Amino acid sequence: MLYDLRRADARIKWLVTCLLATFGLSYVFGALMVALYAGFTPKRVAATYAGREMSMTMPPETTLVVEHPMSMAEFARPEVHAVDTDLLIQDTHVHVPMYGIFAAALSLVVVGLSLPRGRALSLITLLFAAPWLDFAGMWLTKFASPRFAIVTLVGGWAMGAGYLVVAALAVQQMWFSRERS
Amino acid sequence: MNLLFRAAAIAAVLHITPAVVLVKRPDAVQALLPGAEAYFAREVHLSNSDAHRLHLAVDWSPEDGVLTFYGGKTGSVVVGLLEFVRVDSPHGPIEVAVGFTPEGTVRGVIVTKATVETKPWVLEAVGAGLGERYRGLKPGDRPTGAAAIAGRAGNLAEYIAGEVDKGVARALAAYGAFYRGAKS
Repeated sequence: MLYDLRRADARIKWLVTCLLATFGLSYVFGALMVALYAGFTPKRVAATYAGREMSMTMPPETTLVVEHPMSMAEFARPEVHAVDTDLLIQDTHVHVPMYGIFAAALSLVVVGLSLPRGRALSLITLLFAAPWLDFAGMWLTKFASPRFAIVTLVGGWAMGAGYLVVAALAVQQMWFSRERS
Repeated sequence: MNLLFRAAAIAAVLHITPAVVLVKRPDAVQALLPGAEAYFAREVHLSNSDAHRLHLAVDWSPEDGVLTFYGGKTGSVVVGLLEFVRVDSPHGPIEVAVGFTPEGTVRGVIVTKATVETKPWVLEAVGAGLGERYRGLKPGDRPTGAAAIAGRAGNLAEYIAGEVDKGVARALAAYGAFYRGAKS
């Protein structure tokens, strides 16, 4: 095959390396952002996406007043960042095309790697399936059951794993393989 | 390619930047309820008609139809009350803490949350004295913080001050109708 990253011009190798490094940086900050706003446990993800919509109650017939004591610690308790349907629509609209571009770029790197056809196809499938799982999990958590939060976590970890596998293979084959030109 | 750039530009415009805590809630509570030794929360679960009344007054409905007033006490004496009000803007939400004296006038206003994008505008507005402009307001008064800092701060600071005005107006309306009104 003409497109082989092991034998590619050094400029192409450098371009791919820079692309992978830039994606890596964005993935690290993406993970930090997830930690800040959604969390890495099914419970926190479910609280973020299922939110109060799952347990929404009807307004009372007449206005009710409930009073209870508060401690300063309760004021300091971190608030759950809730993503309502409108925000999830916007997030899906903004993130999914970007994830598609990321998956496509990483898939182009996969195509240039020396891998058996089946493994390359599996890797490309993983790269595109991960964001689908991520967002499918969010929507299912909101409208089906909070238990689907695990799907979002699987999707997120799959995205990270896919990137790491591609980056490791590419760097190894481009810069450390014996067959490189 | 042109379509791609346009899509990216639209995505960038629509993407709301993350929330930033400017003042932690406990710090705002201590500043707006000075001297309080104990605290309480009064949750007012609005009926449909009361929620509609509030919406007509200030074009706003509280989250889940529940207004929460936080009070501070020294012994059995109430030293004040405060509300945290969220205002959604096209640049993301801000949160405004509005404190009231026991007499029912505004003791102070603190912007507790903004976004990465709006934080510098809020800081500029506060630096121009926005927080001082609300002191002494009572239910029925109209907050005019944005107008008060006009000419002393940039356009974006004046714009965000208008959003703070909305938060204060909501707090005044809620307090007047559902706290002070309910007590009398």
